Amino acid sequence: MIKFANVSKTYSGGQVALQRVNFELKAGEMAFLTGHSGAGKSTILKLISLMERPSVGEVFINGHDLNQLRRKDIPYVRRDIGMIFQSHQLLMDRTIFDNVALPLVIEGYTRKQIVRRVSAALELVGLRNKQELSPKTLSGGEQQRVGIARAIVNNPPLLLADEPTGNLDPKLSLEIFHLFEELNNRGMSIFIATHDLGLIARLKHRTLTLDKGRMIEDALQDDLSSITTKLPGNVR
Amino acid sequence: MSILFQGRGNANKIRKQSIFQRFRGGITNHVRQIFSSLGELWRTPLASVMTIAVLGLSITLPSALYILVKNSSQVTTNWEQAGEITLYLKEQTTLKQANATVLSVRFMPEVEEVQLITAEQALTNFEAQSGLTNTLSYLDKNPLPHVLVVTPKREHLAPTAAEQLLARLNRLTHVDFGKLDIEWLKRLTAILSIASDIVWVVALLLCISVVLIIGNTIRLNILNQREEIIVMKLVGATDNFIRFPFLYTGIWYGLLGGLMAWFLVVFILWWIQSGIEALAELYQADIVLSGLDGTALSVILGLAVMLGLLGSYISVQKHIKEIEPK
Repeated sequence: MIKFANVSKTYSGGQVALQRVNFELKAGEMAFLTGHSGAGKSTILKLISLMERPSVGEVFINGHDLNQLRRKDIPYVRRDIGMIFQSHQLLMDRTIFDNVALPLVIEGYTRKQIVRRVSAALELVGLRNKQELSPKTLSGGEQQRVGIARAIVNNPPLLLADEPTGNLDPKLSLEIFHLFEELNNRGMSIFIATHDLGLIARLKHRTLTLDKGRMIEDALQDDLSSITTKLPGNVR
Repeated sequence: MSILFQGRGNANKIRKQSIFQRFRGGITNHVRQIFSSLGELWRTPLASVMTIAVLGLSITLPSALYILVKNSSQVTTNWEQAGEITLYLKEQTTLKQANATVLSVRFMPEVEEVQLITAEQALTNFEAQSGLTNTLSYLDKNPLPHVLVVTPKREHLAPTAAEQLLARLNRLTHVDFGKLDIEWLKRLTAILSIASDIVWVVALLLCISVVLIIGNTIRLNILNQREEIIVMKLVGATDNFIRFPFLYTGIWYGLLGGLMAWFLVVFILWWIQSGIEALAELYQADIVLSGLDGTALSVILGLAVMLGLLGSYISVQKHIKEIEPK
């Protein structure tokens, strides 16, 4: 599903973001990506979501070698990746229905299919009764759930989440993570970048730990202490 | 199982759809985008109306000038077609010689009709019109010559052809001189030619300004929707999918601006019609202004749409690619 082979990334200003990173996420797997701010988590997500290209090494997403991918094919690859952002990235001048329907409209689904799929996605995240409202009227947690509904509405094989609970209280965060687990149980591969070590320890999934652009641990996580001992300083 | 988790595609291949699916999806998207772009104009009524008004006025000016030049040309054409050549015969020409000259002129291929006004008829007419009967009776002899009024055939009514005919008639034995009063027509034709050139230059400049106005409006639209474009790209929108609503917006601007120009031209013609009629009456002419016919209307609307499309295309080509998720 995702494969990084000796991937390094240096930005144009000379800032080294990743150094020889290797890992693989198999189909149907759920994993966390953690590390300090500036450790390289965002760069990995940007590479997966095709916002950046690697400086060295190879990145494979759903079997596509990003180095070989033509610009015009990028949108088609992105359609197989559901993306969830800390800032939600919702269109505030549209209704919740329109926001969630966006990937389906782009793919040319019929109106009937769109209504059925959007309703099902909003049902799953518990917002079916608010579909005609503007996202502005929702709380942060509800907005995040709209983002999740939009990310899964076209049933992508891979779901990426960048600090999906960054602005949420612990109870809501746990609800969101349980939703991810439910989606993972239905066969969706899920890759989550998060600082929330408490949740990582509680949910017990594979965790990749980054520090200064290097992968310092890749292990099935059942104990928070092993991460904190490997990471220098405190992790939020 | 929820419909949400049905129909998972093979992620290892770029999800290319069948030709039918692509065609159906493409048509669906285009219909959506045509109406949603119109909806965008509706959502910002003041800005849209102002842009359409600027475009309408820009297109109105050359259209109205074109109509005026066209009507002026028609009027001068009518005057040219009424043109006649007056031949004054030499003083000593007898009536018999004058009749012979009439015959030789009548058989010229360029001539439609020739009429002889004898010296006696001319004097009678002059006396009747001038009221100088007593004064003229003091003259020893009739000072007026025989006159031939020659009407050229339609194809020889143009100034150049008429002048050539005049030169030929001047060479006839009994002709003293001929007169063709077309100098003023030449001047008018030249002025109309310059006016026509000016119309084209003005039209060209205004067309460029329309393209720039629409291009800038679409650029602002793109910048205002920057966040939306980024989100659309993140969820898999192609450049074409993002581009088309802006292109349709440009087309709507052009079409609505063209319609406004058409209404304005019709209004202007209606407004000046009575003034033109009053002026024509002074010259005992019957002038009816011809407005925008179906062809001219199609040209204006087609041109306006093309300009809208061109302005938005230039803007979209430049700015959509620059906006990428970071």
